[in-house]
Amino acid sequence: MTETLVLAKRAVIEGVRSMESLMPVFFIPLFFFVVNIGQAGKIFPSEGTPFLEGQGYAAFSLPTALLTAASFGTAALFLVEEIEGGYFDKLRATPIPRYAIVMGRLLSETLKNLLVTAVIVVVGMLFGVRIESGPLGFVLLLAIMATWATVFSGFMQLIAMKSRSAAATNSASFIFFPLLFLTPNFVPRDQLTRPMEIAASLNPVTYIMEAARSLILKGFEGDVLLKAGVVLAVGLVLAISLNVRAINNYD
Amino acid sequence: MTGTKAAGAAIEATGLVKSYKTKDGTVDAVRGIDLRVEPGEVFGFLGPNGAGKSTTVRMLTTLLSITSGSARVAGVDVAADPSGVRHKIGVALQEAGLDERQSGRELLTLQGRLFGLGPADAASRAQELLELVELTESADRPSKSYSGGMKRRLDLATALVNRPDVLFLDEPTTGLDPASRLVIWDEVRKINARGTTVFLTTQYLEEADQLCGRLAIIDDGLIVREGTPSELKAELRARRSLDHDPTLDDVFLDATGRTRERQAGDVQEVQA
Ligand SMILES: Nc1ncnc2c1ncn2[C@@H]1O[C@H](COP(=O)(O)OP(=O)(O)O)[C@@H](O)[C@H]1O
Ligand SMILES: [Mg+2]
Repeated sequence: MTETLVLAKRAVIEGVRSMESLMPVFFIPLFFFVVNIGQAGKIFPSEGTPFLEGQGYAAFSLPTALLTAASFGTAALFLVEEIEGGYFDKLRATPIPRYAIVMGRLLSETLKNLLVTAVIVVVGMLFGVRIESGPLGFVLLLAIMATWATVFSGFMQLIAMKSRSAAATNSASFIFFPLLFLTPNFVPRDQLTRPMEIAASLNPVTYIMEAARSLILKGFEGDVLLKAGVVLAVGLVLAISLNVRAINNYD
Repeated sequence: MTGTKAAGAAIEATGLVKSYKTKDGTVDAVRGIDLRVEPGEVFGFLGPNGAGKSTTVRMLTTLLSITSGSARVAGVDVAADPSGVRHKIGVALQEAGLDERQSGRELLTLQGRLFGLGPADAASRAQELLELVELTESADRPSKSYSGGMKRRLDLATALVNRPDVLFLDEPTTGLDPASRLVIWDEVRKINARGTTVFLTTQYLEEADQLCGRLAIIDDGLIVREGTPSELKAELRARRSLDHDPTLDDVFLDATGRTRERQAGDVQEVQA
């Protein structure tokens, strides 16, 4: 456990020292956020659009921004860098349990995303977004996003350990396109075309997006939150167990 | 070889084999190596590029699985108790793997923490090692800014954090300028004088001659010669009935079949 914390701390410091890696994590989601509001705000005015629950389109759009920010897999990019550079082997030659190496990275991703999510929510508030579920809902929103960031990074780390190539890991991160856009990111699921609705219903990210949206627009909806909880729990268990297996079998 | 001496070997490998599985079949990188290094030795593992030096080091240091055969390092079985081995060894691999965003001091302190030292002990050990490898002046700069020689010295220092019984150095001077090479040689001698067994791979004959009490020449995954530099030279002199002492160069060329005559022959053919 100590080793995991020591390595997580090191990873956090590494992130702070390479701010350039954090810039797109803020910039890209906020860019799309602002552009979406600008383009769709008139189509979906607050009054006359029931699914907005009295808020502006920004409130509907915020979960997409949060999920985009949580789907960069920065931890995996750092991991593959240290695999290519050889420091990974140096860590593997120390007597720490090897899971600490992957868990340290994942934990740093969790922490980083808590910060990123909080900042983006605050920006959302400047655009008039209110979190209907209140402070507790805000905390839950942070937890949901940070868990998703950890799961996403976890799967990216698997690719990093399997491919051992930064180029391959970078390419794999484009998986975030289908994951994020085969979702009800623009309108609610029941207003999607039939094929899109099927695709969105099969996409686990949809349930995370809907839970976040429900916390922002409506309050606490048990069944919606439960679905997201199941998706995240399964994702987290899979990501962690596969990571531990991958590093234990790394050769 | 089951007496008390066998139990005390620093490194002992029997029938060590590594086959890599690749897309186009298997590569037999190491094809059955027997090794025995006594405590306190500087043992040289000399071979051309691709001979299997790094593969052997990676197996002995628990970084790579062993296809067949067995190895004990510092008395601990590598496959059965890898973590036990890691406690007792230091490793500096061929690519000095450093986290370039950390300073030398941070890197060494972290390494100490990973070997179970508390924060204060890790910090003071880092200071000791910085002094040993003469990096105190650059200790707080990111290691990215270090020269090649400084990186190697830092890498060497990270391998010493736990006061290892056995130190593995994979081509510690490859790519360094002559002056930096001499500095590393000095460090290795200093470390060995304190009782640490050193297993060192190199492609440089002079390095093996200068540093190693005993050496093995590896070629194409097999050990083709083993002994002290003078034994190897004497053997060649006797076998070829030479009237002068051969150099380690000659021994190496003889052992690996890369003869000067053949090279000269090639050149002549080209000219003809
Ligand atoms: N990961 C790997 N996969 C496949 N072949 C490898 C791998 N690593 C090394 N080899 C091959 O094994 C042989 C020995 O390599 P290596 O141990 O690195 O040699 P050396 O360190 O003596 O230069 C070479 O032919 C090399 O191409
Ligand atoms: Mg090598």
